[in-house]
Amino acid sequence: MSFFITTDCTGCTACRVICPTHAIVGKKKHRHRIIDSACINCGTCGRVCPAKAVANPFGRIVAKIPRKEWVRPLFDLELCMACHICIDACPVNALDAVLQKIQDLHPYPVLAREKDCMACGFCAAECPVDAVTLEKRQG
Amino acid sequence: MNTPRRNSGFMGKIMVVDLSAQTIDIEPVSPRVYRLLLSGMGLAAHVLYHRIPAYADPLGPDNMLGFVSGLLTGTGSLFTGRWMVTGLSPLTGGWGEANCGGHFSPAIKRCGVDGIFFTGISSKPVYLYVDDTTAQLKDATDIWGLDTVETETFLCSRTPGAKTACIGPAGERLSLMAGVSTDKGRMAARSGLGAVMGSKRLKALVLAGNKRIGVHNKEAMKRISRICNKWVQFQPPFLPGFLTAPVGALLRIMPWVFTQDGLLYKMLLRKWGTVSMNQISVEMGDSPIQNWKGSNRNWRFFKSLSANPDVFTKKETRKFHCYSCPLGCGGICQTKGKYAQTHKPEYETVLSFGGFVLNRDVNTIFEVNETLNRAGMDSISAGHAVAFAMECFEKKIITVQDTGGMALEWGSPDALTWLVEQMIYRQGIGHILADGVARAARHLGRGSDAFAFHAGNQELAMHDGRNDPGFALHYSVEPAPGRHTNGAWLYYEMYQLWKKVSTAPRMPLVYSKARKYATGPDKAAMGSANSRFLNVMNGAGMCQFGAFMGANRIRIFDWLNAATGWHMTPDEYMEAGTRIQTLKQAFNRKHGIQPKSFIVKGRPVGDPPMTHGANKDRSVDIDTLAADYWEAFGWDRNTGHPSEQQIEAVISIS
Repeated sequence: MSFFITTDCTGCTACRVICPTHAIVGKKKHRHRIIDSACINCGTCGRVCPAKAVANPFGRIVAKIPRKEWVRPLFDLELCMACHICIDACPVNALDAVLQKIQDLHPYPVLAREKDCMACGFCAAECPVDAVTLEKRQG
Repeated sequence: MNTPRRNSGFMGKIMVVDLSAQTIDIEPVSPRVYRLLLSGMGLAAHVLYHRIPAYADPLGPDNMLGFVSGLLTGTGSLFTGRWMVTGLSPLTGGWGEANCGGHFSPAIKRCGVDGIFFTGISSKPVYLYVDDTTAQLKDATDIWGLDTVETETFLCSRTPGAKTACIGPAGERLSLMAGVSTDKGRMAARSGLGAVMGSKRLKALVLAGNKRIGVHNKEAMKRISRICNKWVQFQPPFLPGFLTAPVGALLRIMPWVFTQDGLLYKMLLRKWGTVSMNQISVEMGDSPIQNWKGSNRNWRFFKSLSANPDVFTKKETRKFHCYSCPLGCGGICQTKGKYAQTHKPEYETVLSFGGFVLNRDVNTIFEVNETLNRAGMDSISAGHAVAFAMECFEKKIITVQDTGGMALEWGSPDALTWLVEQMIYRQGIGHILADGVARAARHLGRGSDAFAFHAGNQELAMHDGRNDPGFALHYSVEPAPGRHTNGAWLYYEMYQLWKKVSTAPRMPLVYSKARKYATGPDKAAMGSANSRFLNVMNGAGMCQFGAFMGANRIRIFDWLNAATGWHMTPDEYMEAGTRIQTLKQAFNRKHGIQPKSFIVKGRPVGDPPMTHGANKDRSVDIDTLAADYWEAFGWDRNTGHPSEQQIEAVISIS
């Protein structure tokens, strides 16, 4: 089961534009639809929907959250093992691996393209050692 | 195709691309296939056995080329970023497989499939592009001819974040040493499968999917990964690089063998990578020298010192981690000369273009490494071809008339780099060598086959069966022969399978060297356990370097159960490994391969025995070892073929 769009949809296209997998189809001012096989359950459509017309797979309406209040990943480099699972998990390629520690040549993840981050939380969910936490953005 | 999401680690589907008809289909795979044959290599064997017609031309439209990911890839497990290329090998004529790391393996599953299989031949160069909603073949005419780094750079500039696998000029020219490259220099190099890709006019795969990979018990996956990671992070201060040679010498001199704990090898890998073994292997007799005729006495400490591990880490600007790997044995090195940077050369490359051809110039090794990576050519086979040519030159089978004036002297950096370029672009003598030493010897004649060392036409790797007869055995008996990752007695010790698998013989803490070189039922059991466990690893997509830390520390069986919810015992997983091995052997039988034709002959098995050095007077009773190995699988000990019933049992799985 994936997220789905209810009859409250106004066809504003906000969800269609932001969907990282292009899983949402529909004409402007008409009710949109989520292609189940392409949806990755990131929930971004719900976070941007002004009409509160997106429900999660359990049928609960997803609340719209202002972008400045979206969470972003914070990496604990003491716990991080540089396995890059989080980088691969990111559906919008917002993370990079860069050298961050002195005398340590292992590249660790960093949020390189903050504007692209959609606060899906996949990086934190897939980290095997819980080195990624989600915090609210500043400002 | 809209199917319910799975929470079992695998995606349950494959993609089949017909390049002749330009069609792309998604096909479901029965869960029973996964349970009995796992994913990855087992899935590929299942698909290819049924779909490649008997005696198909490996470079023709009937051959299929499969790119498969592992069952554990993307599930939160560690060391599970391996992907595999499979097909009918044009080099051996039988089962072909090559294995690689990097970040391509999860990209396959994130496109919603466990494997992508190609059949047919395209009328023009193409590449496959897949994202979350589309899969299409795109024109690759503009990038045909580019090297692997240029190709990847170009394709990734079009689709940022996409993962690619591609061939270079060697694959385009159908060199039987050609491989498939990803991450600008990680190579699935063996079995000549880059030539199959070239024959299909398939330049690259560009994967940009984002599908989620469901698992049965995510928390259990993470818990096991945390335990595993603690072992990986255990890294006490270590000895300097030049002191690795005395360690190797000590191992050579001692009359006893201490059963190796892979945790020690992990420490070497974490500090230096595979180059940590450069001098140890030479000193202990593990590295073949000068086309298998030399020894550590021809390549003494001060000669091998130029390739001591510290030389490589000094040039290292960052470590390279494959997907889900906490170890990071790879590296990116800055170099001077033709290329600004290259992936840190692996042990196999350093020895292939070092002691094996008596070359002491490490800068040449860096350059050749990058040249071969960009060309998409196997450095092990290429090193063998260069050594073969140099010995032929020494014996005057090849002369300066054949080389256009270039003297192919042992250890000459100029000759070495020149030969590599000639092979990549199939020019002059390189045209003959580009298809491997076995075919080159048949072409040259005049007794040159005495210097061409291979198993079923595939060149052997840089591990000497006279030092560890397990290497000689696995070079000879595996369906894809001649590969160093297949197995060895050393590998068996490090896997520590007896702690998990009831049928695996326990190794004593210390044993005499005489026992190491003896044959017997225990060796057959060790060999078959190696092969079966490797099939489980290749089904799971696991890196061998992780598994070397021991089955009790890197808990592959527990991960598999947590990912799938199958609750199978390690013995049952090893049975899956047996099925995969039988299926691959049946594949070879279908294509007319006689297993005995793969058995290594000549110097690599001590025929005649060395008269000096670490492996002096040693020879391997390879015929007995092979017969015992086949019998351990229940196959015919004289022919190496599985019985009709055994074949029927594995090919009827659906």
